[in-house]
Amino acid sequence: MTPATAPLGRVRLSAGRWNVAVGTIAALVAAYVIIDLGAGGEGQAQFINALTIGAIYALIALGYTMVYGIIELINFAHGDVFMVGSFVSWWLLTTLGFNGAITDPLLLGVVLAVGFVFSMGVMGIVGMVIERFAYRPLRSAPRLAPLITAIGVSFILQNLVQVGVSNSIVTTPQIIPNTTLHIGPISISAINLFIIVLAVVLMAALQLFIGRTRLGRAMRSTAIDRDAAQLMGVDINTTIALTFFIGSGLAGAAGVVQGLYFGVSVFTLGFYAGLFAFTAAVLGGIGNTTGAALGGFIIGFIQVIAAVYGYGVWSEVVVFTALVLVLVFRPTGILGQQLGERA
Amino acid sequence: MKYARVGASLAVIAVVASACSGSTASPAASAAASGAAGGAAINVKVGIELPMSGGEAPNGVPTANGVALAIDQVKVPGFNVTISQQDDAVNGVHNPQQGAKNMQTLANDPTVLFVVGPFNSNVGQAEIPVGNAAGLMQCSPANTYPGLTKEWGGVSPTTLRPTHPDKIAYVRVATTDDLQGAAGADIAFNIAKAKTAYVADDTQTYGKGLADVFATDFAKLGGTVAKRDSIPGSTTDFTSYVTALKSFNPDYVYYGGVTTSGIGLFRKQMAQQGLQTIPFGGGDGISDGSAATKSSFLQIAGPAGDQNTYSTVAATHDIPNPGALQAAYKAKFGTDPGAYSAAGYACTQVFLQALQAVAASAGSDLATLREAVRAYVADPSHSYDTVLGKFSFDANGDTTQHIISYYGYDATTQDWKFLQQRDFTAKPLF
Repeated sequence: MTPATAPLGRVRLSAGRWNVAVGTIAALVAAYVIIDLGAGGEGQAQFINALTIGAIYALIALGYTMVYGIIELINFAHGDVFMVGSFVSWWLLTTLGFNGAITDPLLLGVVLAVGFVFSMGVMGIVGMVIERFAYRPLRSAPRLAPLITAIGVSFILQNLVQVGVSNSIVTTPQIIPNTTLHIGPISISAINLFIIVLAVVLMAALQLFIGRTRLGRAMRSTAIDRDAAQLMGVDINTTIALTFFIGSGLAGAAGVVQGLYFGVSVFTLGFYAGLFAFTAAVLGGIGNTTGAALGGFIIGFIQVIAAVYGYGVWSEVVVFTALVLVLVFRPTGILGQQLGERA
Repeated sequence: MKYARVGASLAVIAVVASACSGSTASPAASAAASGAAGGAAINVKVGIELPMSGGEAPNGVPTANGVALAIDQVKVPGFNVTISQQDDAVNGVHNPQQGAKNMQTLANDPTVLFVVGPFNSNVGQAEIPVGNAAGLMQCSPANTYPGLTKEWGGVSPTTLRPTHPDKIAYVRVATTDDLQGAAGADIAFNIAKAKTAYVADDTQTYGKGLADVFATDFAKLGGTVAKRDSIPGSTTDFTSYVTALKSFNPDYVYYGGVTTSGIGLFRKQMAQQGLQTIPFGGGDGISDGSAATKSSFLQIAGPAGDQNTYSTVAATHDIPNPGALQAAYKAKFGTDPGAYSAAGYACTQVFLQALQAVAASAGSDLATLREAVRAYVADPSHSYDTVLGKFSFDANGDTTQHIISYYGYDATTQDWKFLQQRDFTAKPLF
């Protein structure tokens, strides 16, 4: 736990950070070697596949962990927020009349920017509305009540999309051209590069926001001790609403990415994505944003490694076995609940 | 006030609904008592147990339409036949538990004498014990998993009939996956001229069974199975499987399963990685309509992925009089029939012909009628003249028509195009 005397904004520069960085690089190298040994010459492509799917899981997992960090609620509706986000971007792109790749780079950039800002904004607001009406009235209720409510919200979102939008799979325009870029020895398709870069940028921005801004400090102090934060003049309701806005916005971004990458969406999408992202958050240490990102990538790698070695049918078993093992030996997750850093 | 108005409109709806049903079904008991010979017709029902919603609608709806069309066109004197419609799709995906529940609902309704359905083999697995216990005959237009009727993989089908092991209450007009898998291998080896294949399945009863037969028969024909994979149906990210596939360098990819398991996505992700030139085949689980059909395999795979794809249907394509069915179907429903519309029609004809045959001897008691229909259809000596042609059911309940239709993607119509059909009785693969 962070010593109470440490200035909250400077926690990030502790030695623990370097251990995490070194450990991450070592794990990436190890993962690459494991994948390459089984991939029969396609190691690099598989590594990129793992990073891409891991990035999507990480973006969703951040919302779980932020909400847990601040109000200790496992927000089971979060996977469905992601699903609704994918429908929002589907709606936007089809309404704007796109049905395939946009080759003009300027137009593509504008459409992507509009798409992400719009979907993240809409989902952020949806997240705030959910918090306001489903969770805030239950904030002082026993822990089980908001949990059940969260499951209820999950069903409401699913059924709203099922009845109101589409009860079957919709195809999202894949506006990023399917081209392969060659950067030195690396061959990567544009969409994969875009997703990985986007996820890293969003996560870095989130870390900066939480670590370096006033509102971020308010979030961290609320996470540590809500009552004390309130006494120090932090507006608890605004801070929690902000946390939901950011977490749901990131899920909205993941929803857009889902549409761009896979080209489809369906109202049941949120269940499995949410389950894996939740697992990622727990694996990394729920309440810890760095841990959630790490957990997301770990799950991406586990799934790809399972597929590479021909045990794809066991991938869910492997993921959840890893979760059980981590929880047995490190109940607080890989990075633990670093209270000072959780948001 | 507001509530009062809602209540009033509900009451109006209720009156209209009861008026509608009254014209068809309400005097069931009295009509049953008066008998077929008396003036009033006996009200009986055919249950339709198919996946009707969500991603499965392209399978269930055209098949159910086939049943409705047959009921419209074929009349049995002395009987007034209506439909009891059930849907086994939960959240848009076929669900065995829901199927068994629906089957129980149908069995509990004494006026239901026969059931058409289900569409999916794992749903069939769950329903057969229920129908067997109730003595309610069902005819599946589309189930193809061999183990539903005959010994398969060392398991006897009597395990599905715990109540009355010797009384069959399940027949099907679709032939089985041992032939459909053989047909898939025939396409891969003889039409696509492939020598090595990557074979995957969606881990479900139907998909795994189909892929297993394909792998065996493809090897028997002289091909090599480079890799045999199983991918859970909940998967959306197939990229790592597709990337792995490259290293096996196959001439053909065969995927056993249904579209809702993500097979269209698999093909789409193949195309994204530039592998659309590798031919891709599947069974009737992906033969679910054109690229314009919502949630169909061809729509999800996209224009690039649709290239070089093949599918099979476990039913005859060259039915004796296709024009008449096509025209009548189009007139009633405004679209062309689906892959199993004729099969749904044929199942209904089996029932109507059985009903006509037993009507005189079974009298008007509904329970006696239900058992009489079951016993008539279960008797292998009877044959039926249907839209699919003339056939009978063997002692297991399998159709004697062993025909598989082959389809390939056609870019101009953006739909499946009939290639040929093969009668495996007249022309076995080996």
